[in-house]
Amino acid sequence: MEQHHNSVTRTPLNSVVVQRRSKRKSYRLSYRSCLGAASRLGLTPALTARRLNTSRRAPKSHNITEKVDAAQLTLLVKTEWQLSYVTPLYQFRHTQLKSYSRQLSAFIAAEKQQGMAVEVEGPQKTFRVSFSLVQGLTESDDDAETVLIQIYSKPVFARQDEPQKPVWSGWLTCINGNPEYLGSLPKDFVCLPLFGSSGAEGLTTLVKSWFQQSFDCCFGRLEISHTSLQWLMALWTNCHNEYSIQHLKMIWTLPAEPPLQVTYTVNSEDAWELWGSVRKGNREGEEAEEKEEESSIDIEEVTRFMQGLQSHFYRHFRLDLSAGSLNQVSTALGSAKYNGRIKITNSRYMITTLTLLTECALLKMPI
Amino acid sequence: MDESTKRLLQRLMRRIQTQMLRTTLDKWGRLTGEQLRSMDFTLSKWALTEKLLAICEENELAVKHITELEMICESDVIDNPSQGMWYAFQLMDPEGTYYDAHSVELTQFKEQFKSHLRELIRHVSVKIKKHTDEAVWIRIAWGDTFSRPNHMKPTYVVHYLQTPYVFVTSLTSKQKPLLSQALVLSTRYQAIKDANLSGRKLTAIRDLLMRQYHQVFPTRYPAPIAENDQTVSNQHIEREQAEPAANRLQAACEAFGGGVLPQLQSAVYKLETKFRDHSNKTMTEREEPFKCVVKFASTNLLESLRHCASSGIASTPVTPLLSSIPLKGKNYFVITDNGPGPSSQMRQPQN
Repeated sequence: MEQHHNSVTRTPLNSVVVQRRSKRKSYRLSYRSCLGAASRLGLTPALTARRLNTSRRAPKSHNITEKVDAAQLTLLVKTEWQLSYVTPLYQFRHTQLKSYSRQLSAFIAAEKQQGMAVEVEGPQKTFRVSFSLVQGLTESDDDAETVLIQIYSKPVFARQDEPQKPVWSGWLTCINGNPEYLGSLPKDFVCLPLFGSSGAEGLTTLVKSWFQQSFDCCFGRLEISHTSLQWLMALWTNCHNEYSIQHLKMIWTLPAEPPLQVTYTVNSEDAWELWGSVRKGNREGEEAEEKEEESSIDIEEVTRFMQGLQSHFYRHFRLDLSAGSLNQVSTALGSAKYNGRIKITNSRYMITTLTLLTECALLKMPI
Repeated sequence: MDESTKRLLQRLMRRIQTQMLRTTLDKWGRLTGEQLRSMDFTLSKWALTEKLLAICEENELAVKHITELEMICESDVIDNPSQGMWYAFQLMDPEGTYYDAHSVELTQFKEQFKSHLRELIRHVSVKIKKHTDEAVWIRIAWGDTFSRPNHMKPTYVVHYLQTPYVFVTSLTSKQKPLLSQALVLSTRYQAIKDANLSGRKLTAIRDLLMRQYHQVFPTRYPAPIAENDQTVSNQHIEREQAEPAANRLQAACEAFGGGVLPQLQSAVYKLETKFRDHSNKTMTEREEPFKCVVKFASTNLLESLRHCASSGIASTPVTPLLSSIPLKGKNYFVITDNGPGPSSQMRQPQN
């Protein structure tokens, strides 16, 4: 698998001072500076000074339906998921999924009896949990297989042949996880850093508690940062020549009194041309042989793309969009919101989107 | 009273606030003094509704009386945006002189409108009422060849007789040509067009279109307009920023107005201009327009825009695209390049 062009700085376990190589401050997540101290004590593995990739492979249409079961894909696509990061799971076995299903059902039933917050319409509902393996939804050999969790509500007097729709779904995945990090984990840990959930909040909390109890892991909110949203915009727009994105829509919020929301929707063809014009290989008059350059996208191109859009907006309205914050980006391929909600509407470019999100999750994790 | 009339009354009661109920019923005038006194306004809304239904049965009131009550509520009582969106229209090409067109008399208008509408569609129920502020309120319940007018989905039309402006809510696309025709024939105009202005509050779009809000004019001597709340901060910054801040505030108020602004919810711009960014040569050389749609939304859009201008988020002088909203009384614009020219020229909003 092709290695990414990135500025990973490996933190020697016994060193005192860590030099930052790249000067780009914008990617530095704020708590990294306090983690630097921890690394001096040799407690943390090599991921400390890492930051979001500055360049990535251009998304190619993966005919993912060849590898993954179509029924499972339909469950993942076209739903809006709330994202969280998960620290590595201790002694999680992909072979024990049936047993986990039973354990989680029992856990939910027990908690319900204690009066924990689970939304039930009537007192008679029990829940049936199903853990399943989504085979084929990985990229590298280091990635653990994706696990899909579904909770069905089972009314006590239901007939056996009634088809049931899940009332809650979730998944754990790792796509193109950083191989150095994955390699540095102790033996019994399985890393599935990205968790997506859809359904009642109460059930989400219960599932998370069960995982925390059973595998000694930790969940946390995953927000999709401004940079990641820009990346998604660029990556999705890049797919336009193979699959029409139909439009590129951005929603900004400006801090006025009362708050002003700006929805900026760009025609797909025009967005595509703008994207083409900021790509490095595209110098005027040059016949660029882009085989190599096209296959990787740099952060500078992404920033220039965004700046072009903001600049065109400014020329008309003399309103500076960067005074506000970007809340949502959406195209026909999916939509991503700042508060960590993601929807993938087409499975073809799913791998790229999930790769980016896995990276965000790995970076946000405290260890 | 039949079932549908009862339902109409019940729905109406749900929307009136209890404290306004007494005055509303008073205005309506269909209850005798004794009946009004017998209603105990401290009861629950549901109980009051039942009592009112009983009284209406007693008085043998029909659907047309209930619709009277609804009109009163819509025009006087219910202040919150209940009906959904109001759309503004403008009558064009007045016949004869200016005086002729603006001197249509109320009774004449009423008769003509009703008769024209009834010619166009057989089963229709029209109620017209004039208000103290020169507005004529029209309530239309539409039926068709086979069914009676549907009172649960009435269209409301407000027309100011001395002006060419008409405001409409709850109108379907099938009903639109009928209403347009009736309006044109009963006033002395020849056509009616969309004024590209919409909003939830009738008073807001009315004020915007008919310029009835506090306008601020450029002053020769920079006397800053008093701001409502002063956030205290660093003295040095205050001193340094005092003049630019005052200038920004003045420019913002000139563009959008001072004091309380009409409550508009959104503005939509369809941009079809060439791409403008000097740092990107490829795109600037492109012939085709860069098509995009920008929508601004807020609970009070003009207030937000004015704040953007006064706080520096929007650069002053305010671009004509934004100041056109109050200036032209529109909130839907299609912007195209008006011919070749240096990109520093201001764009002209068309239509």
